[in-house]
Amino acid sequence: MMSYFNSDQRKGLIGSALLSLMILAIVGAYYIWGETYHARILYATFVNLLVVVGLQVFTGNANITGFSHAAFMGVAAYIAAICVTPAAMKMISLPDAPWGLNTFELSALASATIALVITGLMGLATGLIFVRLSGVGVTITSIALLVIVHSIFLHRTDIFKGNQALFGIPKIFDLSHITGLVILAIFVARLFRESSVGLQLRASSDDEAGARSIGVDVRRVRLIAWVMSTCFFATAGVAYSFFLGTISARPFYFNFVFLTVAMLILGGLRSVTGAVFGTLLITIGLELVRWLETGPVLIGVKLPQMLGLSGLLLGVVIVAVMAFLPNGIMGHREIEDLLHRKRKKGRKNDVSSYDSQA
Amino acid sequence: MDYAIQQTLNALSFGAEYALIALGLAIVFSIMGLVNFAHGEVVAFGGYSMVITATLLTSNPWIIMVGVMFACVLTAVVLERVAFRTVRGADLTTGLLTAFGVSIVLQNLFLLLGSPRAMAATQFIFLDKTLTIGTIRVSSLQIYETLATFVAIVVLMLFLRKTPLGIAMRAAALDFEMVRLCGFRANRVIAGAFAISGLLAGLACIFIMARRGSVQPHMGFDPVLVAFVACVIGGFGSLPGAVLGGFLLGIAEVTILIILPQSAGGLSSAAVFFLVALVLIWRPDGILSPAREKGDKI
Repeated sequence: MMSYFNSDQRKGLIGSALLSLMILAIVGAYYIWGETYHARILYATFVNLLVVVGLQVFTGNANITGFSHAAFMGVAAYIAAICVTPAAMKMISLPDAPWGLNTFELSALASATIALVITGLMGLATGLIFVRLSGVGVTITSIALLVIVHSIFLHRTDIFKGNQALFGIPKIFDLSHITGLVILAIFVARLFRESSVGLQLRASSDDEAGARSIGVDVRRVRLIAWVMSTCFFATAGVAYSFFLGTISARPFYFNFVFLTVAMLILGGLRSVTGAVFGTLLITIGLELVRWLETGPVLIGVKLPQMLGLSGLLLGVVIVAVMAFLPNGIMGHREIEDLLHRKRKKGRKNDVSSYDSQA
Repeated sequence: MDYAIQQTLNALSFGAEYALIALGLAIVFSIMGLVNFAHGEVVAFGGYSMVITATLLTSNPWIIMVGVMFACVLTAVVLERVAFRTVRGADLTTGLLTAFGVSIVLQNLFLLLGSPRAMAATQFIFLDKTLTIGTIRVSSLQIYETLATFVAIVVLMLFLRKTPLGIAMRAAALDFEMVRLCGFRANRVIAGAFAISGLLAGLACIFIMARRGSVQPHMGFDPVLVAFVACVIGGFGSLPGAVLGGFLLGIAEVTILIILPQSAGGLSSAAVFFLVALVLIWRPDGILSPAREKGDKI
């Protein structure tokens, strides 16, 4: 079995296993010490993690920044929600829905599959266009896609309820489901990075002309990565709507896009480990700052309420990372590279490189 | 006929506003390859400077106008010094994300130090009157806006063609190293570009504020998004392209508003962005940008 993989892929399996252990340790810590409201934070973190790992698949390997992931996530969330909500509930929440959307209900599995397939097809259709563009073209067209999808959400209130909440979605997932999905996502993303397609994609991002000259079909590998990352976003969207019970259009827009992109670049977009570390670090940081933002009493001093502090720090992190650490914390390194070097040189160097950022 | 003239003026004034902001993006991009998404926050800061000047100094609108221009130029130059100098020469994504970061920082500073709600700043409202010329009723603001934009474009053109710094800037868009070898300071050329972009932002800010009458932390985002699109349609980094893209967008927006039924009004931005996507598929590098060989730019 092991001989089926080459050495990089075997390293990838080890690295993914290490990251999965880390995820499991976090979940374990929650079950031992955590309070109930932590489950919600943890779930949201893992949904973000799915998105950021999905971003890494395309943005990280191809080194082309796309901003449309929130749109795909929103589409999948809405499709899954509309399919799975009981018809009786939809008569109340979506009384004017066209095409008999409020007269049927499907099982959770069927709903998720439909959401994945439709979003994946949307990814394929947009991907066929996107791979023809270069650099800034992809960025702008992905922004265009985000705006188009968002204004459709807002405009078709009969289907999507716009800025109001679409409610009554049964709660299907809990923490164990999303933990499983995150671990699966880490393995898939890492194995894709080390696969021949992933290698070709990374080569094309380093030197597009050079990669073409040795026979890499840049459009084909970009299309594969684009559709794959779309499926990650769709999974995240389904997980999102299967947990929260209500969804609205607002979270699927620029704020979420910036948040996830910041997570990716802080960790380092070239590696899956970077995506995971970036997500965890920013989530922990934001939770701390949100607590400060509400004006808590600290050592007897009542701090003022400071709205906007979390956003401010998010922006500062992006600027500082770009200025001083353009490759992120991890750069090209994955988690097993850290361990490998630790064994060689002792712990000092590597730990300090990310502790100083934390 | 009246209707046609009114709608033409609508299209021109929308286009003028987009073109002003798009020019500010294009002049910075052409020289240092930075997509300056924080440009919208420069405009928003202009709005806040109105509030500050009006409460501290004077409510004379002409003095406030000068103050807005000054504040925008100052912000643009300071941003260059503080944030964008460190990413000079980095690749496009790095610059883009830095600019996004700066934009988030500024928005939240406005939120923290100003107010999350809209603050009234009505000093420029007097620009917006309804004029009656014969049988046609038009908004004076739209006329001022269109004229001011044309004047700004002509002045900018003269500056870029006749003055040494302007010529250096145009040369820098082609080959920055060569300009430095000719004895121009890199910092001065780039700061000049940012100052001009700030000046254009100030001009745009005056008209935006005359229309809105209030200032909000997030108000700069939508205009800069549209201006970004205008730049991309016209060909990124090309100044005539930015102007063309701005006016094309203005025309497209008004046309779509006319064609689409009232009930679908919310879809106008979706339709505009859809058209943009189509243009990009037709010419991925924009309308006025020359075909470039890949791999040459190392």
